Amino acid sequence: MTGRARARARGRPPRQAAAAPMGGDPPVPLDLPGELSEPRRINVPPQPSGEPGGHGRLRGFESVLPERRPEGLRVSSGLQDLCLRDRGGRRRDYHDLGVNTRQAMVHVQESKTGLSGRMIKLTSNHYRLTSRPQWALYQYHVGYSPEMESRRLRSALLFQHEEHIGRTHAFDGSILFLPQKLRNRVTELFSRTRNGEDVKITVTLTNELPPTSPTCLHFYNIIFRRLLKMLNLQQIGRNYYNPGDPVSIPNHRLMVWPGFTSSILQYEESIMLCADVSHKVLRGETVLDVMHSLHSQVGEERFRDACAKELIGLIVLTKYNNRTYRIDDINWDSSPMGTFRKSDGTEISFLEYYKKQYNIDIGDPKQPVLISQLKKSRNVEGTVVLIPELCSLTGLTEKMRTDFNMMKDLAIHTRLPPEQRQREVGRLLNYIQRDDNVQKELGNWGLSFDYKSVAFTGRVVQGEKIFQSGNMVDYNPQFADWTKETRGVPLIRAVPMDNWLLIHTRRNHDVANTLIQSLYKVTPSMGIRMSRPIIIEVDDRTEAYLRVLQQRVTPDTNIVVCILSSSRKDKYDAIKKYLCTDCPIPSQCVLARTLSKPQTIMTVATKIALQMNCKMGGELWSVEIPLKQVMIVGIDCYHDTVTGRQSVAGFVSSLNQTMTRWFSRCVVQSRGQELVDGIKACLQTALRNWFKWNKCLPSRIFVYRDGVGDGQLNTLVNYEVPQFLDCLKSIGTDYSPRLTVIVVKKRVGARFFAEVGGGLKNPPPGTIVDTVVTRPEWYDFFVVSHTVKNGCVTPTHYNVIYDGSQLKPDHLQRLTYKLCHMYYNWSGVIRVPAPCQYAHKLAFLVGQSIHKEPNLMLSDRLYYL
Amino acid sequence: MEKNFQEEEFARVTKFTPPLYKQRYQFVKDLVEKYKPKKVADLGCADCRLLWMLKFCSCIEVLAGLDISARVMKEKMHMLSPLPFDYLQPSERSLTVTLHHGSVAHKDPCMLGFDLVTCIELIEHLEESELKKFPEVVFGFMAPSIVVISTPNSEFNPLLPGVVLHRHPNHKFEWNQAQFQSWALEAARCYDYSVEFTGVGHPPKGMENVGFCTQIGVFLRKYPQTGGSVQYEKPTEAVYKTVFKAVYPSLKDEKYLQNAVVSEVIFIAQNIKHRLMSKHEEYDDDPERKSEFQPSVDCFSDCLGKLVVDKTMEPFVNGNEVYIPLATIFSFPKVNQLCGTFEKLCKLIAGKVTLSSDGSAVVFNTERE
Repeated sequence: MTGRARARARGRPPRQAAAAPMGGDPPVPLDLPGELSEPRRINVPPQPSGEPGGHGRLRGFESVLPERRPEGLRVSSGLQDLCLRDRGGRRRDYHDLGVNTRQAMVHVQESKTGLSGRMIKLTSNHYRLTSRPQWALYQYHVGYSPEMESRRLRSALLFQHEEHIGRTHAFDGSILFLPQKLRNRVTELFSRTRNGEDVKITVTLTNELPPTSPTCLHFYNIIFRRLLKMLNLQQIGRNYYNPGDPVSIPNHRLMVWPGFTSSILQYEESIMLCADVSHKVLRGETVLDVMHSLHSQVGEERFRDACAKELIGLIVLTKYNNRTYRIDDINWDSSPMGTFRKSDGTEISFLEYYKKQYNIDIGDPKQPVLISQLKKSRNVEGTVVLIPELCSLTGLTEKMRTDFNMMKDLAIHTRLPPEQRQREVGRLLNYIQRDDNVQKELGNWGLSFDYKSVAFTGRVVQGEKIFQSGNMVDYNPQFADWTKETRGVPLIRAVPMDNWLLIHTRRNHDVANTLIQSLYKVTPSMGIRMSRPIIIEVDDRTEAYLRVLQQRVTPDTNIVVCILSSSRKDKYDAIKKYLCTDCPIPSQCVLARTLSKPQTIMTVATKIALQMNCKMGGELWSVEIPLKQVMIVGIDCYHDTVTGRQSVAGFVSSLNQTMTRWFSRCVVQSRGQELVDGIKACLQTALRNWFKWNKCLPSRIFVYRDGVGDGQLNTLVNYEVPQFLDCLKSIGTDYSPRLTVIVVKKRVGARFFAEVGGGLKNPPPGTIVDTVVTRPEWYDFFVVSHTVKNGCVTPTHYNVIYDGSQLKPDHLQRLTYKLCHMYYNWSGVIRVPAPCQYAHKLAFLVGQSIHKEPNLMLSDRLYYL
Repeated sequence: MEKNFQEEEFARVTKFTPPLYKQRYQFVKDLVEKYKPKKVADLGCADCRLLWMLKFCSCIEVLAGLDISARVMKEKMHMLSPLPFDYLQPSERSLTVTLHHGSVAHKDPCMLGFDLVTCIELIEHLEESELKKFPEVVFGFMAPSIVVISTPNSEFNPLLPGVVLHRHPNHKFEWNQAQFQSWALEAARCYDYSVEFTGVGHPPKGMENVGFCTQIGVFLRKYPQTGGSVQYEKPTEAVYKTVFKAVYPSLKDEKYLQNAVVSEVIFIAQNIKHRLMSKHEEYDDDPERKSEFQPSVDCFSDCLGKLVVDKTMEPFVNGNEVYIPLATIFSFPKVNQLCGTFEKLCKLIAGKVTLSSDGSAVVFNTERE
């Protein structure tokens, strides 16, 4: 996921309340052009701060139990509403509760834990939630006769009877949760509205929930959010931040708010809070400031384009309410002087509106306005108009991410080493423990936390042996890196460079020569035979590069190397597009700047030589893979968040026993299409190619599926896996390979710490955790495969959702770990199995630059590295 | 005290536009605009909606709410918290919002010294004993310059469908115009206030004699301000419970001011440095750059342009180091406005920004990039 996508996932535009009980009339702009002008509800967001999206609609008893989830895992809609109002987002089950995959896998029903490796003492950022003995949550349905529409009215009428229902309660308008049982199953209460209408309120017990029920888990999370609010933390997106203690980085006009992510879930043995440190990057500039500085940077002609490029997709905060919005468009034809129609029918300009409603003077009446689309949710849709001057930016842009200095300055504050990270999380627990109101709230519900994080043992499996041309590479598994050790060792398969092109501009003439000289020095020891390239000088224009490619590239060309003078994306895109589709030849683009430092040129040249070799179908090293007749598949997705039009799935599958060669395809699909249909076709061709290489079909297939969003697990289990099985069945009646599907997740909240000499350290590579902090309903485990220089290592979560292999957990874990050693663009261990990273690279290249499926002629090489 | 939604219901029936509760709040807002009080208290603040509206009034520096129901206040009190934006760009004025749980029949020193006290749809909820103590507490003890009291006008009730006795079952009474006015005049006389009567919610044509739907009394204190509690020889104990307090970030607070100044100084200095390092990119040469987008877009060049006259203020490069005189930075309107004096600027950035040995210029090392 790109940073932008991440930002989008966190800060999705909030729902506009259909009947906002407070705060301004939702106005309708009148002066929008074209596509926006059909009848619609267009809302400016003058919602008050902290105003949860109201939902004042009538809900009868029937609709209280929607058929949203599989039987037995039903969470009442009322409760979901409660938690979503807190979150201000869409309905979504972020924790994939209720997807129970382990029950179908007989071989791991007893135990899913491995045994091999040495034991290691670990702690994590999980804290047990405890409740008093015989604790239960009582769920009541509250009915009104006659029906009352407004949620606030319903609450008010009910809470007139606090002497009956008690002071501690959670109520969403129709479902009431109480920590204790009322005397009768059905309680009738009588209230009178101010209009003198008598209302009968019927409170009926519908459920007695044990602490582990899914509804209760939702409920804990709601209560926990209440606590965070009580601690005066500010909600931004999904997480909570402490504004009282910001770190400002004036060099880049950034401000970092420390905060927390938290979730309460049922883990292996107990319900636990998983809390982690999170940092929110906020920018001290308004959108208008950014526009001004862009204007002075790029000038008039490119100004609008630059604004669109820089701003669309970003998440903004406003000056007057507590919401986040995504910028979807910029309307240059409108301005704050434009008018809109308020809900009472009167027309008002934005200038007047903000003055009247919020006493805000808009300084620049000529600025354009920003448009934010509201996600289709409930029955409200439309767009929100925002004034640039009143919007402040959050998060980082792609441009900022590539700014090395900025990222370095940020990392000081956000990359916390293990000990410090655990201390920061401990602070949250401390706040909770010390705050009287929080303790009272917890006490009223009969809940409390273990304020010490859980401790357990993990296992560190043996380091993997790396083989290169029959030699075992002697490296230290602690460092998870063999760059030094493999230097000067011949590759498994070196592809000669007899016929290759080097294209550069006049300015980079010297750089090009340096590169050739350096390559001459490094390639012999690798076993790569290299002739002098055909060197072509071009003008620094995209068309010039393309013309040369069209004229000089022949089917015999091994590879094309282009030295680019800037990281301008259009040139790179054009070259890649041509050489991946129209004229399928591997290519290597290098920035002139990378080659300009004499002290690093040999390292760079080595890296380039290896990369080019892989792109041409070479092989670098291997690990021992004891399983025979195995095909490994890796899948990852790329979503175009800027235009929101395309999604690309990269599909990579192994071709040989040693997993050194990979077949690849990808699926480009526009919005609304199902990804899985394309993936099915990929699997078919993959099997055909495997057959070509091995003269038989694989007897086991392992699919490592990355790019699965929170809450999508259900779809995967119920739709994608059956499609895989279907596809295998269609190959032939006598063919029934064993399929295993593993969901790979890099973004997890869990952090592990090794206790070393009284302090906390990152766990060593090869650490496997499959107890205590895993989920009982899944066959899942964590692997720490890589190392990090700064900060905390993030374990990768593997969830085996389908397993026909019958392999022991030990073996599956080892296979997974082995595959993390096989990514050829990095001579070390990476965070995910190599096929996932390859699939990611492929999807990214296609999504960013090529936008259609590359030529299949290239499909047996790692041309996308 | 669920006034708002009750009123909403009601407004729908009789079609006051804007709804009556909004008209009442607007009335208070207009009053605030007129008298510019610094300290405002809302008694019976319920769901804090009026307070939320008032927090946007730039004259107010202290806002307090008081209600008998902590639950109702707590439900929406977080609306009164500062927004992320407030931290990002702290405002000029200071603002503290406090919510108290307690009764208007009790005196608490935290209610002393206010300029405006509002009691919107409050008194009709009071028990007889509380109502009796009310004038003494509000006019006698709190003694603000202005008091606003609104209450239903029972003469209007026959025009409201469905109203039998009172508009709300929790109302202990509803007064006609004469009743309210005699009570108000008595209170005003007793505590040396003047009172004017008005209201919101006009009666239908031809029925003007029933008066406004909501009757309002605006009380102005006739004697000048005497220092708060001094007037009361026996200062009372605190009886209210504070349920919420929010101090808004403000440039009046040295910490926020320093942050703002330091980040502005570094930002400007870096910008000047960039310009200096990339002079060849014909930056300042093109007066046509400024477009219809906004005439003041390039205030940067403007500022720098003016400065070139004075040679001592020109930034310069010396070896690996770029020197940007503080005087240059101080001449930027935003810095100027934030600091006021050059001395203040020097004081605020001391130790936070790398300066030349004589302290007259910001120094950057160009090696870093």
